[in-house]
Amino acid sequence: MSAAKHKMREKKMRNQPVSVQYSSSSQGAASSPQNGGDTPVPGGGAAAARQRNPLCQGGWVRGHHKDGGGYSKEMPKYITGIAFARARAAEVSAMLKAVNKTTGSCHVFGALPKHMRRRAMSHNTKRLPCRLRDVANRMREKSLKAGQKKKKEQAKNKSRKARRRHGNLLLEFNRRQRKNMWLETHIWHAKRFHMLKKWGYCLGDRPTYKCYRPCYRAMSSHCLLQDLSYYCCIELQGEEDKLLASLSQLTSKDAGSTFAAALSLSGRRQGSAVVYRAGQYPSQPLGPVTFLWRPRTPGSAHRQLWIWAHPTLKQDLLPELQSVCQCCEAVIPPVAPVITPAGFVAPTPEPELNPEKTPEAKQTPGTKRKRSCKDAVGPPAKKIVGDGTRSPTTPVTWKSSSTGIVINDLTLEIVRYRLIGPQSHSVLTETLEAATDCHAISKSQPSSLWWPEHCKDESKMALHRQQADVFHTLKGIYSTGEVLSGTVLGLTVDDPRLTLPKTKGKAMPSVKQAQEVDEEKRRELMLQGVPEHCCQSFLWDQSVRDNVTHNKISEQELNRMKSEVLVPGSRLSPTPLQGRVPLLLVHQPGKQVGQEMSSWGAGWDLLLPKGWGMAFWVPLVYRGVRTGGLKMSLKHSQNKGAPHFPHDYPDCPAGVRFQEEQEAELLEKFKRRPPAKRTNYIKHGCLAPFRCPWQQLAEEWELIMRAQGEERKGQSQTQTTTETNTLTAEEVTSCHHVTITPQSTFTVLRNRKSLRLLSGWCRPTSSKGQRSCRGGAVPPLDCSSMTSLLLAHVNSLVWVRLSLLSKGKPELHALVCVPTPEDLKLQHKEPGYSGPQEPLLRDHFKSRIKRRKKVSKEAAKSSSSSEKPVGKATELSSASNTIPTSSPIVIPSLAQSCDPISFASSTPPSQTSTLSITPAKDPKSSSSSSDLIFGLWPDPLPSVISHCSRVTLGWVTQGDFSLSAGCGEALGFVSLTGLLNTLLNQPAEQRGLVLLRNPTSLQYRFAKINIEV
Amino acid sequence: MTEPRSPGTASIPQTVPASTDTSSPAVEMDPVEYTLRKRLPRKLPKRRNDVYVNMKTDFRAQLARCQKLLEGGGHREICVHGLGLAINRAINIALQLQASSQGALQLAANTSTVELVDDLEPEDPDEAGEPMTRTRNNSAIHIKVFYPDPQ
Repeated sequence: MSAAKHKMREKKMRNQPVSVQYSSSSQGAASSPQNGGDTPVPGGGAAAARQRNPLCQGGWVRGHHKDGGGYSKEMPKYITGIAFARARAAEVSAMLKAVNKTTGSCHVFGALPKHMRRRAMSHNTKRLPCRLRDVANRMREKSLKAGQKKKKEQAKNKSRKARRRHGNLLLEFNRRQRKNMWLETHIWHAKRFHMLKKWGYCLGDRPTYKCYRPCYRAMSSHCLLQDLSYYCCIELQGEEDKLLASLSQLTSKDAGSTFAAALSLSGRRQGSAVVYRAGQYPSQPLGPVTFLWRPRTPGSAHRQLWIWAHPTLKQDLLPELQSVCQCCEAVIPPVAPVITPAGFVAPTPEPELNPEKTPEAKQTPGTKRKRSCKDAVGPPAKKIVGDGTRSPTTPVTWKSSSTGIVINDLTLEIVRYRLIGPQSHSVLTETLEAATDCHAISKSQPSSLWWPEHCKDESKMALHRQQADVFHTLKGIYSTGEVLSGTVLGLTVDDPRLTLPKTKGKAMPSVKQAQEVDEEKRRELMLQGVPEHCCQSFLWDQSVRDNVTHNKISEQELNRMKSEVLVPGSRLSPTPLQGRVPLLLVHQPGKQVGQEMSSWGAGWDLLLPKGWGMAFWVPLVYRGVRTGGLKMSLKHSQNKGAPHFPHDYPDCPAGVRFQEEQEAELLEKFKRRPPAKRTNYIKHGCLAPFRCPWQQLAEEWELIMRAQGEERKGQSQTQTTTETNTLTAEEVTSCHHVTITPQSTFTVLRNRKSLRLLSGWCRPTSSKGQRSCRGGAVPPLDCSSMTSLLLAHVNSLVWVRLSLLSKGKPELHALVCVPTPEDLKLQHKEPGYSGPQEPLLRDHFKSRIKRRKKVSKEAAKSSSSSEKPVGKATELSSASNTIPTSSPIVIPSLAQSCDPISFASSTPPSQTSTLSITPAKDPKSSSSSSDLIFGLWPDPLPSVISHCSRVTLGWVTQGDFSLSAGCGEALGFVSLTGLLNTLLNQPAEQRGLVLLRNPTSLQYRFAKINIEV
Repeated sequence: MTEPRSPGTASIPQTVPASTDTSSPAVEMDPVEYTLRKRLPRKLPKRRNDVYVNMKTDFRAQLARCQKLLEGGGHREICVHGLGLAINRAINIALQLQASSQGALQLAANTSTVELVDDLEPEDPDEAGEPMTRTRNNSAIHIKVFYPDPQ
């Protein structure tokens, strides 16, 4: 290191004269040449000087330095005039030289003063003053030559035209999505959205234009469209009872509906469930899934089930399903059909169907050549998502020999669009049109397409007519929320590109259309939902799906056909036979919990065969919907009061992964700021601003409860008056001394009965708006019921919705705290009371970081000085020896001096913490200093719940100003133990009030806890 | 124009389960086994001069809205709708409007019956077969507040 520094120093000093110094041992004439008498020898001068003067030690320790510096103590008694003047003259000449010479080698206009420089000078030398032009020209030629070299390398690439040619472009696209797959609407989205690479996909996060409020408005009054194709579909096939038997291990009735729920099982409704690891019900959840049973085919017990899961959940879910169903034999797909691109399959049926295609084929010679060469070269060709990116040998099907169940991974095989909003049904009815029957002539011929075949079967056509009828009745309803939630409707529609409007409009329900619809039918749809047989769709058939995908008419072909229509702009007739698409419409329930805004955000999901994504997307967009990305789906679930998958499932493996990613991301962002501009979270009393230590929270509350229980035994009846807030550090200390037994990991409470009980307890019992509606059903909150609930759910967290009473906007990882009785009293008395304030804490780590920096600097310095051969510097050897030995001593002393201050307030001086926090005692102190980040607590956190002046209950996982409620709303988790303890100690009319504090603020705000089932 | 704050324009007081006012006593409902979920009343297309009255919004705000429509909005007539509990308030608003106009406004009231839909979801979805859907009726009032023609 020091060698490099020396080199740099030498380079810098090349043109400088030797510094003129008078040695302390003024030796008269002997020293005079040394005193600046020698001429500036470029390069060697400094070195020579150093050699001559051993006291100098390189002579370049910055600033004054007592022992290292070369300054002499006394002034000389006399100076020789000539020698002195000569030395100064040399210095002056060197300085002039240095000033005149342009330093940078890059640009000529460096010689110009700043205000005379212009950007255009770099390519137009005539803008430079004459004196610089020659040099500039030379420089420019040089750079051009260099550029040409680079260009030649680039020229090996194809020209832009070649690169943009269709086949090459597709190859490029395939290469780019090898790592993160693209959805079918990717290019559409990439032009309009901020894209994120997440979960192995490229997904749109939010539009580049400003549309937060318009999107919200679309969700609450019109329609918002999202591409959810990244959700993974897993298909299970087998006997119904065997499927149910194996799947029942994954779910529990306590946590809501299961796979066996009667309505979902019939196929009339979409179901949802939380999946656990097999047989582990209260612990080890995996995540939420939605599922869809195919309606029964009469006379067969064979069933088909689609399970839709989030991509991060899939990697946990799939092995679990395989083990449950004992499906371990991977069926390696036959290679040919998987690789064969659709473009290859298509030519076979197309010529016979499209007689007019053959004349068209001989177009300009250019295209012909291209086509032929493409055929000759082979199949890079067209790729339909789901085929090309997956390696053909990766198994997608697993079979079981014992149970006969087949698991099929249908990821990206089915496109899923979500329409949210009360008008989504009118968007759908305007966009889609039930498939038209085909002509008698085509009926008689055998066809490779699926639709003409189906038209021959009268029963299938009858079903189709019924489905179309139900779809028609949808026009009669005014709001999506009117339909029975979770309704499924199968349908076959015409290619929506045929009815694409010329301009973008807004689909609105029309009263006239609504009146056409039979009132009786509408009523039936509202009350009974869709009859069971109408839920059947050909989308369930693999063969039909493939047929439809491969026979899609390309955009180009369709446009050509449109251009040949006699009356421009009129509808293509007869409708080309390829344009019939089977699909499924699945109703998504809106807000179901809580009292306000019920069925907000209801909508429809549109399931399509792959390859048809863009064909449906653009027509939907032309009906005036807004499009949203990942951010909007987060807001949707937040407004709906529903947990969002990876965010709000901290006990699932996917949730844990998400939290880690989020922490890394936030920390990275935090570290990018200069330390002086960072929020000092230590001062704000926020222990973990980037992640929530749920486990620690749950455990600490358990310990407190245990301690309280023991106390209670001792004090018999007085325990009702004990307040949680009196549990100060002392109690926590005592808890900490108890050896922490290896406890189970925390879980989120999902037992519906317990949640219902809690929800009743959280409400203030004698409030104005609350009728005593369920007062009879809920047993009163007391110690015995509380302990029984607690015993049933150890280490549990409860998911709560918090709505702020006054102003304030909760943010990510805001603290949920318990108000003291004084706070509650104040809140009760003064209606405008905004909340207490947290006193500013002291950052004891700041000084430590500073001192450590100093020490490390000193250490570096001493090490550099010690590197120098000691033998020469005999006088300094003692000093340089003391510094490196002293540095390890300094650090522990520092640490010890500040440790008691920093931890006395927060942590007990328990052995574990002190040992782990003061690692300075071991010699590797420098490594521990590196993980001290300014403004953040170092890793072993002190007690999280009693760190601030109010006891912490939990944290917020999502918080924002809610446009639907008109106040700040937050979703988060609190410890069940802590919550019950708090509720028990609060007066009845103020029950369920907590305090909320943002990590970057000291202000607490009152919020109301809602637990909704 | 001004969208009502909640999608349920005319709000029924949403007392979730065990609502005693349900009109069909034929269905024996055990509150333990079923969860009652009320759907929103049917939403009809709305003109600019339709005012749906609810119980959540402040009374004065709703009154001010009506006055604004009549005076600033340039409408000769407005319709005030109220459902269930909100009937009382709708009448109140209409009368207040009339009183504040010194007799310039006239009222014409109509009543009607609105069919509402409830869903009963079984707690234990596996055993109880059908989740029930039932209808019940609720009264509604539609008051036309208008300036009479000059003749």
